Amino acid sequence: MHDFYQTGWWAVIWSIIKIVIVVVPLLLGVAYLTLAERKVIGYMQVRLGPNRVGFRGSLQPIADALKLMFKEVIIPTSANRFLFLAAPVLAFVPALLVWAAVPFGPDVAISNMNAGLLYVLAIAGLGVYGIIVAGWASNSKYAFLGAMRAAAQLVAYEIAMGFALVGVLMLAQTLNLSKIVEAQAGGGFWSWYWLPLFPFFLVYFISGVAETNRAPFDVAEGESEIVAGFHVEYSGMAFALFFLAEYANMIFVSLLTTVLFLGGWYAPINTPLLTWIPGLVWLLLKTAFLLYVFLWIRATFPRYRYDQIMRLGWKVFIPVTIAWIVVVGIALETPMRAILR
Amino acid sequence: MLNHYLPVLIFIVVALVVGVVPLLMGASLGPHKPDSEKLSPYECGFEAFEDARVKFDVRYYLVAILFILFDLEIAFLFPWAVVFDQIGMMGFLAMMIFLAILVVGFIYEWKKGALEWE
Amino acid sequence: MIITTILFYLFSAILLGSATAVITARNPVYASLFLVLAFFNAAALFILLGAEFLGLILILVYVGAVMVLFLFVVMMLDINLTRLKEGFLSYLPLGLAIAILGVLELAVVFWTSPLGHIPAPGPIPANADNTRALGVLLYTHYLYPFEIAAVILLVAIIAAIALTLRRRQGTKTQSIDAQMAVRAKDRISLVNLRRPEQ
Repeated sequence: MHDFYQTGWWAVIWSIIKIVIVVVPLLLGVAYLTLAERKVIGYMQVRLGPNRVGFRGSLQPIADALKLMFKEVIIPTSANRFLFLAAPVLAFVPALLVWAAVPFGPDVAISNMNAGLLYVLAIAGLGVYGIIVAGWASNSKYAFLGAMRAAAQLVAYEIAMGFALVGVLMLAQTLNLSKIVEAQAGGGFWSWYWLPLFPFFLVYFISGVAETNRAPFDVAEGESEIVAGFHVEYSGMAFALFFLAEYANMIFVSLLTTVLFLGGWYAPINTPLLTWIPGLVWLLLKTAFLLYVFLWIRATFPRYRYDQIMRLGWKVFIPVTIAWIVVVGIALETPMRAILR
Repeated sequence: MLNHYLPVLIFIVVALVVGVVPLLMGASLGPHKPDSEKLSPYECGFEAFEDARVKFDVRYYLVAILFILFDLEIAFLFPWAVVFDQIGMMGFLAMMIFLAILVVGFIYEWKKGALEWE
Repeated sequence: MIITTILFYLFSAILLGSATAVITARNPVYASLFLVLAFFNAAALFILLGAEFLGLILILVYVGAVMVLFLFVVMMLDINLTRLKEGFLSYLPLGLAIAILGVLELAVVFWTSPLGHIPAPGPIPANADNTRALGVLLYTHYLYPFEIAAVILLVAIIAAIALTLRRRQGTKTQSIDAQMAVRAKDRISLVNLRRPEQ
C-alpha cells in the first residue's frame, strides 16, 4: 500500500507523520495512566485519589509534569556526569522504539516489518542498559544494588517471554505482528491464541509485569529495603524519563499481549452488532483492560522476595514454556492440528 | 525491505530528541542550587563511607551466562517455529532432540543448585 | 540508492570509530558501551544488506545478552586501572605478535579463497523473508550442525556452572518449595475453649 509514500523524501516525511501520530497519544496515554493508577488504587483502598487539580483531578498529570519540569536535576558529586545523564535517555529510547512495529490495524504500523516480533524482542531487551548504567553512574550503594537486582530479574524473565513467543510463532507461522493478528481471525473469542496457548498467555503477561518492574516484582525499587533502587539519585526530568519509560512499557506489554493472544483488533463475538465498531476501539479496549489488571495486581499482591522471583522465572516459567512448546509441537504433528489451525 | 527500516532509523533520531529535550528543559528551567549535602550520595542520612563500586557475588555472572545460552536457544527456536509447517517431521524431531539435549543441561543446572538464590 | 550508500558509509564510520574507542577508552565501562555501539552499527549494516534476521539476532544476542554480561563483569570486578597497566610493556610483544598473526591469516583467507572474487549478489526479491529462508535451510539441510550447536551449548552450560558456581559456607536459605507446600491445617489447629455443657 501507499507506494507513493515509500519513495524519496516522501518516505521520510510520511514516517515522521506516522511517528508523531503514535508518540503524542502514547505520551498522553502515559500521563493519564498515572492518574488512572492513582484513582484505581485509591478506590481499591477506599480513598479518593487525586481530586483537586481540575475536575475530579483530571488535570493532575499536567500539574505533575509542569512541577517535575521546574525541579532541579541533581547530579551527585561522586557520579559520572555524562553516563548519569545518558542513563534515563537509554531507558527511554527503547521504550519508544518498540512501538515502531506495533500494528494498530491490518497493516497499519509505523513500520509493518516482516520480522516484527523479533524486532520487538530485540529492542525491548535494550531497556536493561538504562538501568545498569544508571546504577553504576550514580555511584551510590542503593542505586547499584537496585540496578543489579533489576538486571538479573529482567534477564530471567526475558527468557520466559522469548519461549512464550515461540508458541505464538508455531501457530501463526509468521513474525509479522499484523499477520499474527490476522491468523486469529474467524471465530471471535474462541479463535484467539489465549485458549490453545493458555500457559504462554499467562507466562507472557506475568513476565511482562516482571519486565516492567511493577509490583509485586518491584524489588528493584523496593521502597522498604533499598529506597528507590536504581533511580534513587535521580530528580526532576531525569527521574521523569525513567518514569515515562516504565509506563510506556506497561502500555506496550498490554498492547502486545492483546495483539499476540487476545485477537488484536477483532471483536470478541463475530456478529455485525459488534464488528461494526472500529477495530482500533477493540484493540484499545482490550489494552485498557490489561492495564487495569496491571493496577489491580499492584493493589492486591504483596511484594515478592527476591529469591522467590528468581525461582518463579527460572524454575517455573522456563520448564512450563519448554513443556508447552513440545505439547503444541506434537499437537501440530497429529490430527489435532485441525483444531489449532 | 529497507523501506521497512527507514522509519525505524528516523524513529531512533526522533526518540533521542524526545528523550534529550525534556532533560535539557529540566536542566534549564529548574533551579540550580548545589550544596555538598545535596550532592552526596544518599545513604539514609549517613556519610557514604566507601566507594559504592564494590565486588559483587559471582552468582550474578552465572545468571548472565545462563541468560546468554538461553537467549541463543531462542534465536534457534524462532526460525524453527516460523517454518514449522515447511520442515515436516524431520525438522520437528530435530528440534525435539535439540531441546532434549538442552533440557539435560537445564536439569544439571537445577540439580547443581545454580538456580538457587541464597 | 544514493541514500543507502551514504548510510553505509555513516554506519561503517561509526562502527570503526567506536571500535577504536573500545581499545583506547581508559574506563572499561566506557569501552564496553562503545562495543555496544559498535555491535549496533554492525547490525545496521546487516540490515542495509538485507539480512534483517542476522541484524536483529545480533542485537538480541550480542547487545541484549553478551554485552550485559560484559558490563556486569566490568562493573563489579572493582578493576584497579593502575595495576592493570603495570604489565603493559611486558605483554606488548606477545600482543603484537598475535595481532600480526591474525592480520596475516585474514589476508591469506581473502587472497586464496573465492571470498574476495564472488560477484555481487543479485537484487533481493521485494518480499523476501530471510527468517523463513534461513529456517528452511537450517532445519532441512543443516540438521547435523544444528544438533552439534545443541551439544556446544550444553558444554557451555556445564562449563559455566563448573567455573563459577561456588557454595558459600554458612549462608542461610529459605526453601521456597517447603514454604509453598505448607497447609494451614498443619500449622494451626483450632481448639474449642468453651467449657463443655454440664
